[in-house]
Amino acid sequence: MSTVVDIAELSFHHSGENDAGPALTDITLSVSAGEAVALLGPSGAGKTTLLTLLDGRLRDWRGHARVLGVVLAPGNAPPREARADVGFIFQEFALVERSSVARNVLNGRLGRTDTWRALCGLLNKEDSMAAVRAMTEAGIADLADRRVDSLSGGQRQRVAIARCLAQEPRLILADEPVSSLDPVRAEDILELITSASRARGSTTVFSSHQPDLARRFASRVIGLRGGCVVFDRPTDALTNDEIAELYRESAAPQPRVPVPLRLVL
Amino acid sequence: MIRANAWGSFATSSLIAGIVIWSFGTTEVEPDRLLSAGPRIAEFISRMFPPDFSVMPQIIKGSTETLRIAILGTLGAVILSLPLGILAAETMTPAAVYRAVRALLALIRAIPLILVAMLMVGAVGLGPLPGIIAVAFHATGMLGKFYAEAIDNVSRAPVDALESAGAGPLLRLRYAVWPQMAPVVARDTIFRFELNLRESLVLGIVGAGGIGFYIQTYVRSFQYDKAASVTLAVVLMVLVIEALNVALRRRLA
Repeated sequence: MSTVVDIAELSFHHSGENDAGPALTDITLSVSAGEAVALLGPSGAGKTTLLTLLDGRLRDWRGHARVLGVVLAPGNAPPREARADVGFIFQEFALVERSSVARNVLNGRLGRTDTWRALCGLLNKEDSMAAVRAMTEAGIADLADRRVDSLSGGQRQRVAIARCLAQEPRLILADEPVSSLDPVRAEDILELITSASRARGSTTVFSSHQPDLARRFASRVIGLRGGCVVFDRPTDALTNDEIAELYRESAAPQPRVPVPLRLVL
Repeated sequence: MIRANAWGSFATSSLIAGIVIWSFGTTEVEPDRLLSAGPRIAEFISRMFPPDFSVMPQIIKGSTETLRIAILGTLGAVILSLPLGILAAETMTPAAVYRAVRALLALIRAIPLILVAMLMVGAVGLGPLPGIIAVAFHATGMLGKFYAEAIDNVSRAPVDALESAGAGPLLRLRYAVWPQMAPVVARDTIFRFELNLRESLVLGIVGAGGIGFYIQTYVRSFQYDKAASVTLAVVLMVLVIEALNVALRRRLA
């Protein structure tokens, strides 16, 4: 299986006022094509920061990162085609409130269309077909003409998912897609995301702080705490003790201070 | 502490009283002149009645010209304010540039319209053209600032979402920034148009076109009944435009 995500010795620290979320420390992991991976961990563990990095929107990090074969550089954004290949479902949906549902979903196509045609509002067949397919999958086809600011929270989330699917991404990143939902709806949404991803032969990485859902919908679970990877297991091999330890109430996690070699000898 | 505060407020009141007394001293506000002004004003007003509506053609000609000055002046201000607004936006432009552009806009705002109009009459001659240029220039000071604020108040998240989808800067501007700022821009522009119309009513007094020319002509030649008709027309026009604006702004909410 080919590798979709490959990151090594990755670190990120806040610099001054740069308030881009929690820091990451020396992270190494890889994700293969077709996997569904859950990032599990308490608030502030660095889940969003890691997803933002994979989306190519984080600056000033150190280490090595390759996503879908494109090497990410800390200084600048990845090329347009590469960004279009990675879809991101935002926790707060990040929709254009005054635009229609259809327009918001079509916005997911903007990385795939010619800039000047898109500026003039011209749609090609591929764009409209992808948008209709995505809206149908997300169950919001009948809302196409409604303005987003007239929708409920649940409907908005489906618009955000449809925008990501319309992008026809090869890697889908979802930031806390179910944090604000009741258990039944949470399952519906994760089912929608993971099955749409499978149907496209895409890879999924989603973050959550609900271990049960992570277990059900992911083939592999990565535990993050205080910006470090605590465990990285296939879902079947994950023990309840490991999850309990991940969410253990304590101040900062114990920093792993390397003992100087001289003292050991 | 309390004592100090009491002294502070006493000092403030004394200062204000001092300023008011100083103002009386430096103008010729004499009590007998103020008392005799009553009957004079009454006589002046009586000469305005009944208003002479025979000047209707001049009123129509003057007010359409004022309306045209306001419309074209606003158009000019919009054209100037779009690039200046972008340059004055904190979220779009480097600090050195946006601070300089904001200072420039503040400077433009500080110059009264009537002064700009007088300078423009000197530069391009009498008529509506100097009026249009003056309105466009003066209004840019406010509109450019408003546009910059509209850009800065745009929510960041949808812009990030479009960047994530692979949209370049132009497409982000078109599909994430513009839909958010368009209603604000429309509201600000309508508001500025109303101000432009009110302010351009007096442009004719300095020869920069519009209905102000007739007000000045009739008052200077003591034809107060005709001046009264023009005043009524001006009041009517302002009320109508204001009502229209209220209705438009409600639709944009």
